[in-house]
Amino acid sequence: MSLHIFGNRLKCLLRDKENVFWTMLFPILLAVFFNLALSNVNAGESFQAIKLAVVNNSSFHNDQALQTALDAAAAGEQKLFELTLTSQEQAEQLLTEQKVSAYLLVDEEPVLVVSKTGIRESIIKSFLDSYLQTTAAVNTILQNNPNNPALLFQSAGERQNYLAEVTGSAADPNNILIFFYSLIAMSCFYGGFWGMREVTDIQADISALAARINISPQHKLKAFLSSLTASYLIHFSELILLLLFLRYVLQIDFGAKSGYVVLTTALGSLAGIAYGAFISALVKKSENMKVAILIGTTMFGSFLAGMMIQDIKYLVSQKFPLLAYVNPINLLTDAFYSLYYYDTFSRYFLNITILGGMTIAFCLGTYVIVRRRKYASL
Amino acid sequence: MQVFKLCLKILKKNIRSLLIYIVLFLGISTIMASSASTEQNTDFSFTKSKARLAIISEESTPLTAGLQQELAKIAHLVALPDEIEALQDALYFRTVSYILRIPKGFSEKIMRGQPVKLHKTVIPNSYSNAYLDLSIDQYLNSARLYVEQIEDLSQEELVQFLQKDLAVETAVEIKTNDRQAAKQTYSQYFFNYLSYSLLSILILGLSALLLVFNNQDLQKRNACAPLSTANVNRQFVLAVLVFTVLTWLVMALLCLVFALKDGFTVNILYLLLNSFIFALCAASISYLIGTLVKSPNAIPAISNVVTLGLSFISGVFVPMELLGKQVLKFASFTPTYWYVTANNRLASLTKFNYTNLQPVFTSMLIQLGFALAFFAVALVLGKNRRLQ
Amino acid sequence: MIVSVKNLVKRYDDLLAIDHLNLTVHDGEVFGLLGPNGSGKTTAINCILALLEYDKGEIEIFGRPMKPEAYDIKRHIGVVMQNVAVYNELTVEENINYFCGLYVADKKLRQELVREAIEFVGLQEFTKYYPKKLSGGLLRRLNIACGIAHKPKLIILDEPTVAVDPQSRNKILEGILELNQQGATIIYTTHYMEEVEQICSRIMIIDKGRSIAVGTKDELKAMITLGEKITVESQRITAAQLSALRRLPNIVSAEYKNRLLVIKSSKGSNNLETVLEFIKQEKIQFGKIYSELPTLNDVFLEITGKQLRD
Repeated sequence: MSLHIFGNRLKCLLRDKENVFWTMLFPILLAVFFNLALSNVNAGESFQAIKLAVVNNSSFHNDQALQTALDAAAAGEQKLFELTLTSQEQAEQLLTEQKVSAYLLVDEEPVLVVSKTGIRESIIKSFLDSYLQTTAAVNTILQNNPNNPALLFQSAGERQNYLAEVTGSAADPNNILIFFYSLIAMSCFYGGFWGMREVTDIQADISALAARINISPQHKLKAFLSSLTASYLIHFSELILLLLFLRYVLQIDFGAKSGYVVLTTALGSLAGIAYGAFISALVKKSENMKVAILIGTTMFGSFLAGMMIQDIKYLVSQKFPLLAYVNPINLLTDAFYSLYYYDTFSRYFLNITILGGMTIAFCLGTYVIVRRRKYASL
Repeated sequence: MQVFKLCLKILKKNIRSLLIYIVLFLGISTIMASSASTEQNTDFSFTKSKARLAIISEESTPLTAGLQQELAKIAHLVALPDEIEALQDALYFRTVSYILRIPKGFSEKIMRGQPVKLHKTVIPNSYSNAYLDLSIDQYLNSARLYVEQIEDLSQEELVQFLQKDLAVETAVEIKTNDRQAAKQTYSQYFFNYLSYSLLSILILGLSALLLVFNNQDLQKRNACAPLSTANVNRQFVLAVLVFTVLTWLVMALLCLVFALKDGFTVNILYLLLNSFIFALCAASISYLIGTLVKSPNAIPAISNVVTLGLSFISGVFVPMELLGKQVLKFASFTPTYWYVTANNRLASLTKFNYTNLQPVFTSMLIQLGFALAFFAVALVLGKNRRLQ
Repeated sequence: MIVSVKNLVKRYDDLLAIDHLNLTVHDGEVFGLLGPNGSGKTTAINCILALLEYDKGEIEIFGRPMKPEAYDIKRHIGVVMQNVAVYNELTVEENINYFCGLYVADKKLRQELVREAIEFVGLQEFTKYYPKKLSGGLLRRLNIACGIAHKPKLIILDEPTVAVDPQSRNKILEGILELNQQGATIIYTTHYMEEVEQICSRIMIIDKGRSIAVGTKDELKAMITLGEKITVESQRITAAQLSALRRLPNIVSAEYKNRLLVIKSSKGSNNLETVLEFIKQEKIQFGKIYSELPTLNDVFLEITGKQLRD
């Protein structure tokens, strides 16, 4: 370690204010956006009542029970439906204009008419299924000498809840966390840009500045490591800031093992920087090409780790488990999640070990290429 | 046309990195669209969703057997050993999304009409799980009615009654034909994700061009040439447009390949038009970013914030139905929101008269407005920067 | 012997950039490496500095083989590269301090060295400036200061005056001589023969990666047959007069083109007199007449058959 190089490098990097500003701010901004988009999903609040048209014909008029059931579902604060009683033509019209999600036509049996299959349509159907099945039960009972037919209808209207949710482990499974964990993982791997810059500034065949360092009496790897440490320090600090923001501003739960979360972030930052350095040393093409490869792999890795759509993560882990284990961003995401989720450390250590192995491989690869102190051409 | 030619040369020089972006983001949108549309088809009750369910039963009675049999109709039953770690792993890797534990003495309590609870451990926010919840509650509520009303009912009889009742299902009529609906869902997802891809490619691709161009020395040199600023800008914008249209063409062609497999619909044409307008909007956002940002190091970070951020709050990754009202209101100040709104509407449209299309056209006009606004801001700011 | 290069060969694919180059630089010299653009000067320097791989040859500095990890050799070398290489994020003073710090660990000593370097290149008023604010000439001076602040025994300057105004150029050249007087050995590459003539004690002319001549400037000029070049401005010279001129003693060649008669003579005295007499004799009308001694360009021209600067 050369303190001289480390200190000056730190100064240099910190003075590129635009870079520091954006690398620090971008994960925080993204976290805010994620939080905006996902807060509702988790809380399940402010459910918008589904617009449902009902064809107001005689069959519907005669079906008291259905009317009662629908009215009950369309009343109160947390109402499920917003009902429109109307003619069939009108209902048809409303459906094509997408003013309602579906309409209900009662004609001996109720028929649900929809224009597409989606979340809202499914909810309506589940509701109707439940109604029909209860009705079927009531009818069967009536044919089989019931004890107290008077009480039957009332009892049928009351629904008891037979399910209690229990936690299977240290914490509840939480889908939302995956988004934030993969965001941290992605931010770690955006450290690749710092690593890339370090390699650029030490390879004499890429920059004139590097040539100057190469001809000085400084051990090349020592100079490289000193300078890399400066990058690492800045990047890791930015990540700590992100963690603090997530924890204290957005109130994201990291579970009880917060020390390990910081430790994992430290390794993640290192892995990201090492990866960027490796790519930069490996790809002998233009700067734009390196950036493209770095962004490309990082975004694809984040995508497979479930950052945009979570199901992708499980699709990969079920269908292509190997891919899940070689994607460092997925490993990092899983490491964070297993800290939160498991009581034991076995899964965490598995992820960390593989990630650590990859980091060492990136470092060794970079070392082998950067170690060359003479170049074929400048 | 010197400036224009130069721009094309710079773009051509970066063609490989641009191709990486195009392949990557096209890949992402394609995978997302296929996974989302298959999920759409299987995860909701119309086509009988199949949640992956593990039942851990601490007793074996006709009633528990009946319940299992019933649930097997709507879920994939997965056998798991009753060990904490195995169960945790199963939930962790989503080999199951629902674990149902039937406690000892459950059947007896049901038969006596006593309160009893089953224990579930689930992955939250899953529609197929909600569907399982409903079914289990329905089964047991119906059972409660029988127990209340009929004397000396055996478990076997009860199970038989329930089996018959629960076979009842609502008849559903889908107004468009099924195949078309499914396909349009695919196009809807694909085109929604396209907004993420288009924006990413254009910001990353055009920034390479803008960074070369906004180099102060080069700008001075251009300013000295006997060309008006307006002329230089025109040529430059023309180059940006050519790049935008080419990128859009590649994306749109791929979508057509997927869409035409299932036959052609008018919807596709409108979706293409909408995506083209969005591409213009994305180009002008990229132009603005390229004008504002001086440090090339900051570009990946900025592009990331803009593309992912807009996608998350505007209903690209998280469906609009699941977003809060406030979030949507906020999102309506972004072009992505209007793009997605138009897409969602177009996807299920079957009649293309003016009344039906009017909201779509409004959304498109708003996007064009955004495009012009971003472009104007970029021009003003660019001019100010030059004069500094 | 400060630098010794033996049989250096460097290929870039098909291109032979350095072709069996031999070179020795002695203690206290200002050694000039002169050659046209693309002749292999910078490549040779990069090989000497162990930055470039080479195909064949031996390079020794201070009597020891030069290798990338020969840090005790590197410690005593100062290099000023052709391209300006400084950190845009560091000020003038910080840049010099940084590069000096790569050689000198002692902070106090370094402070003194940095101050001296700043004075040496005359950047006292700009110490707090960032490189972006400096003009081209000042930037070059900063580039030099970064290379020599640690007072090296051997200083290699690779075209330090490219694109520099005459004032800065003179300052730089004077500075180099001053460094030399303080005891540093200098290797100086350039394609400006005037600079070489002005400061170098020994010169090597290279072309296409080959050394074509080495020596002091007088030695070099002595190597060629040309002793004097006489130019006569005249309206009319007949072919008979030309061939008569060519037959005169000591005259090597005589050409008449664009109303200029150029006569080249080999070494010897009274060449101008001979020509003047001939002109009188033939009653040739002339406007101006002047005589020049050979330059390094003539040396280059005679050996390679082409101009040093195209």
